[in-house]
Amino acid sequence: MFISYLRIAWRNLWKQKVFAAVNMTGMSIAICAALLLSLTAYHEWSYDNFQENKEHVYQLYRKDNTSKGVRINKSFSEPLAGVLQKEVPGVKRVSRMGGGDMPVRYKDKNIYLDVEMVDADFLRMFSFPLQQGNKQTALGSLDQLVLTQNSAKALFNEENPVGKALEVKIGDNWKPFVVSAVADNIPDNSSITFEALTRFENVEDYSTIRDNWNVSSYPLMVEVAANVNAAAFDKSLIAIAHKYMADPITSLKTMGGIPDKDGELLRINTITLNDFHLSPYSTFGSGLRPFYPWMMVMLACLIIGIACINFINLSIARSFTRGGEIGLRKALGAMDRQLMMQFWSEAFLLCLVSLIVSLLLAAVLLPYYNATFRHQLSFHLFRNGWIVLGTAVGFFLVTLLAGGYPAWKIARVNLVQVLKGKLRLNRGSSVRNGLIVFQFMVAAMLISCTAVIWQQMNFIRATPLGYNTTQVISIPADNAPPQARAAFRNKLASEPSVQSITGSILNLGIGKDGSSGNWNRGFDYKGSHISTQCIVVDYDYAKTLDLKMVAGRDFSRQYGTDSSGVVINEQMARQLNEKDPLGAILNPSGQPYHVIGVVKDYHFESLHKKIEPLMIMMDAQSRMNYLFVKVNTSHPAAAMEHITAVWKEVNPLAKNDPGFLDENTDRLYRQEARFSKIFMSGAVLAIIISCMGLFAIAVLVMAQRRKEIGIRKVLGASVGSIVVLLSRDFLKLVLIAVLVAIPISWYLMQRWLNGFAFHVEIHWWLFAGVSLLAVVIALATTGLQTVRAALSNPANSLKID
Amino acid sequence: MIQLQKISKHYPVGFGKNEILKDVDLTIEEGEFVSIMGPSGSGKSTLLHILGLLEEPSAGQYLFQGERVDKMNEKKRTQLHRGAIGFVFQAYHLIDELTVYENIETPLLYKSLSGSERKSKVADVLDRFNMVAKKDLFPNQLSGGQQQLVGIARAIVAEPRVILADEPTGNLHSDQAKVIMELFKQLNEQDKITIIQVTHSDLNATYGNRIIQIRDGHIQG
Repeated sequence: MFISYLRIAWRNLWKQKVFAAVNMTGMSIAICAALLLSLTAYHEWSYDNFQENKEHVYQLYRKDNTSKGVRINKSFSEPLAGVLQKEVPGVKRVSRMGGGDMPVRYKDKNIYLDVEMVDADFLRMFSFPLQQGNKQTALGSLDQLVLTQNSAKALFNEENPVGKALEVKIGDNWKPFVVSAVADNIPDNSSITFEALTRFENVEDYSTIRDNWNVSSYPLMVEVAANVNAAAFDKSLIAIAHKYMADPITSLKTMGGIPDKDGELLRINTITLNDFHLSPYSTFGSGLRPFYPWMMVMLACLIIGIACINFINLSIARSFTRGGEIGLRKALGAMDRQLMMQFWSEAFLLCLVSLIVSLLLAAVLLPYYNATFRHQLSFHLFRNGWIVLGTAVGFFLVTLLAGGYPAWKIARVNLVQVLKGKLRLNRGSSVRNGLIVFQFMVAAMLISCTAVIWQQMNFIRATPLGYNTTQVISIPADNAPPQARAAFRNKLASEPSVQSITGSILNLGIGKDGSSGNWNRGFDYKGSHISTQCIVVDYDYAKTLDLKMVAGRDFSRQYGTDSSGVVINEQMARQLNEKDPLGAILNPSGQPYHVIGVVKDYHFESLHKKIEPLMIMMDAQSRMNYLFVKVNTSHPAAAMEHITAVWKEVNPLAKNDPGFLDENTDRLYRQEARFSKIFMSGAVLAIIISCMGLFAIAVLVMAQRRKEIGIRKVLGASVGSIVVLLSRDFLKLVLIAVLVAIPISWYLMQRWLNGFAFHVEIHWWLFAGVSLLAVVIALATTGLQTVRAALSNPANSLKID
Repeated sequence: MIQLQKISKHYPVGFGKNEILKDVDLTIEEGEFVSIMGPSGSGKSTLLHILGLLEEPSAGQYLFQGERVDKMNEKKRTQLHRGAIGFVFQAYHLIDELTVYENIETPLLYKSLSGSERKSKVADVLDRFNMVAKKDLFPNQLSGGQQQLVGIARAIVAEPRVILADEPTGNLHSDQAKVIMELFKQLNEQDKITIIQVTHSDLNATYGNRIIQIRDGHIQG
C-alpha cells in the first residue's frame, strides 16, 4: 500500500514539475539554512558541557551600584581566595587565573604559548583530563608546569616531556620549570583555554598583589559543595563583601551610590560554569549574549515556517486539481485516514528529497558559512546521537506540519462535489491569506531590521573617533624584549614614510591578539571622589594618533619632569571642575601628578559606551604592550607589509600580526557585523522563499480565474483594469503584512540600538521604503502572471467548460 | 436487495429549499438490471448517489441487503464501498498517474489483499476484457471506450454485488457504447451482478430488464 502511495506521489511530483520544484527548492534552502543556524546555536550552547562540575563551579564578579548605574568588575584582589576558602561554608576549591602569551624555550626551541597561572586545585575543579601525570600533584609546587598534548608536541616532538626542564619568560625574566603532566587538548567548546599551566604565584606582579586588598587584577573561580545552591552561596558572599570590602562600600556611599533591592551597594555575584560562554560578565565570555543562540533558533524557525507555508498553500491549491482522484478513492472505499496517509506520504517524499538536497547543500556551504560568520562548525557534530535524533524529530515535525494540514483538509472534502467536478479553490481562503500575510510579515520585519542594523553599522564606521585610524598601525608587542623594541624604533627612524612611533599599555579597538582591557582608577580630589580610566603611554602618543590638544601640551622629551605629568581628556577636566585644569595636582596613588595638558575627547572605547574620563600617564617602568606606528603613504598595504617584515625581523617570535587601527575598531563591532550578515542572509532567504510561494499561488489563482477574466474582457474590461483587479488581492495582503511588521521591528530595533551610547535614529521613511519594497517585490512576482492572464484571448478561456 | 422507503433529498437554497427527490419508494431485487431515466435535473444522479452511499437522504429509510444505511457507521459504509458496491462513471475517473494495471489494482489495495491474490485477480480481469497488452499504458494513451472498459474492470475486480453506473456511455460514440452495454448485460447475466445505470439513451435502457422513469423527483408509474 505504502509503495503504491509513493509510486503515485512520485509520478505526481514528476507531472507537476513547477510546483514540485518550487516546493523542493524552497524546502531545501530553508532546511539547509535552519540546519546551519541550529547547529550554530547548538555549538554555542554546548560550551563547557564536558565539565563535570559545571553546576558547582562559579566565576565571581563584583557589582558596584554607583550613582550613575551599575559598574561591573571581573577581577578580585589576591587575598580573597584564601578568605573564601576559610570563611565561607561549602566552598571546596578556589582558583585564580592569570597569564597570556609568553615565550617558552626548551633547548634551542623557542615558541610562544598561552601560559595560564592557576591555583593548585584548578585541575580538580575543571575537567581537563591528564594523559600523563597526576591531578593531585601536577601543580603541587611552584616550578611545575602542565602542557597540553599539542604544546608538548610543539616543544618536544616525540620526546616524553614529563620531567623535562624548560624556561618561561615571565615579564622580563626567564624562569625555570619542570613539566609535571600532559593534558588532553582543550575541546573546542571550552570557554577556558590554555596551552600551559603553572602555579598562580608565578604571575609577574605577585609581590605587589600579595595580601593587598587594594589591587584587583585577576578573575576568581570557586567550586562549592554539591549541596550548596547558588542562592545560598550568593547570600554568604554578602557577609564577605561587608567584612572585606568596607572601603569601597564607604566610598560608594559617599558618592551617592544607589543600593539595590536588598539594600546592598556592592555585591559579589556568581556565574556558573555553564554560563561562562554566554554571560556578558564572564572573563571567559565570547562577547556573545545569551539571546544570540535563541535568535539563531528563532531565525531558523521563521525560515522553516515560511517554507512550510509555501508547502501548505501549494499542496492545498494543487489538490483541487486532483479532486477527481480523491473522490474516486473515497468511492472505492478509502478511509479518510488512508487518504491522509497518502497525501502525507507525498509530502514526506518531497521533504525527504529536500532534506537530502539540503544536507548536500549544507556540506558544500559549510566552509563558506564558517568563514563568513566566523563559526567553527563541522559535520562531526552529527556523530552526536542527540543531534541526529533532533534533526530526525525536527524533520518529522516539518513533514507533519507541511503535509499534515493539507492532507487533513483534502481528505475531508465533500465527495459528491468532487466527483461532479464542482470543487473550486475559492479566492478568499482565509487560511491561505493568513499564511501569506505571515510570510510577508516575517520578510518585512527582516528587511526593516536589516536596514536599521546596516544604517547603524555605517554610522559606526563613519563616526569620527577623534583619532587617526587609517594611518596608524598597531603592533601587539607580545612580551618582546626591550632590545627588540629599540632595534625596531631605530630601523623605522630612517624610513621617510614613518612619521612617528609610540607605545601604550592598552590597544585601541581589538587587535589581532584579540585582547582588550581597561584600567579604572578612583581617588579623591579636593574632597570629591574622582573615577577615571587610565592608560600609560610613551612619548608622541598624541602626535602619532593625531589627538587634538585643547589646552597645554603632550608629553615631550624636552621636559625632564614629564614622568610626573598627566594628560587628561575633556571629560576628566569637567570632573575636576577647575576653571583651568592645567597645573592641577592629582594624587591617584600616593604620588602627585600635575596636569600638563587637556586632550579633546576621543572614543578610546567602543561606541557602545559614552566617552569616560581618562588620564594619560607616562611611566618608564610600565612595559608598552602595544606599539603604534604612523605611516604616511599612498600604499597602505605595502607599508603594512613592510612594517610587519621589520617587526618580524627584530622579533622573530612575534605571535600576532600588526594591523591598522581601523581594522581594530571594526573588530569592536564584530558581533554586530555578524548579526547584520546573518539577518541580511535570513531576510534575503525569507524574501526569496516567500516570493516563490506567492508566484506559484499567483499561477494557480490566474488559472482558476481564467473564465472570469474572459467574461470580463468580453464585457469590455480593459487590460489595465483587469491587472488592477487581479493585483489588488495580493497587494492587500502585503500591505496588511507590512502594517503588522512595522511596529514589531520598530520595537525590536529600538531595543537593539539602546545598546549603543551613540546610535542612529529610526526614521519613518525607512519603514515607508520597506513597505514600498515589499509592494514592489510582490507586484513583480505576480505581475507577469496577471499581465499574461489579462492579455489572454477570451475565446480560448471561454471555450473550455 | 435494495429498499428505499419515502426517501427525500433537498438542499437549502437561500431561505427556501430545493427539493430534488420527494418520497421515493423503490425496491430492487438481486440480479436485476435497472435503468433510471429522466430529463436533466430530474434527480436521477442524486438517486444513484444515495443508492451508492455517496450522499445521505434528507428523510426516509434506505435498507441495503436488509440493513439500515443510516444506522451504519463510517467503517461499515467503507466496507460496503470496498466489497459490495462498484462504481462506473461517465467521465471514467481513472487516476491519470497510474497505469491500467495499477488503476484496476487500487480497490484491491483498499481491501488489503495480499500481493499474489491481487495479481491473480487483476490478471483475470485483464484477460477477460482482452486488455493484457495494454496493462502498462496510462489512461491518456487509451481511447474513451477503452478507458471505460478499464473503469468497468476496476468496478468488478473487487467482485461487488451491485454496480452503479452514471451514464457510462455518455462520453462515447455508439459503437463503443454498444460494446460497453453488451458487457454490462453479460456481467448481469453470467456473473449475476445487480446493475443500476442512469442513462439518457432509450437504446441503452433496452439492455436492462426494468426501466424507472423519474421526473421532478418522483418516480413515474
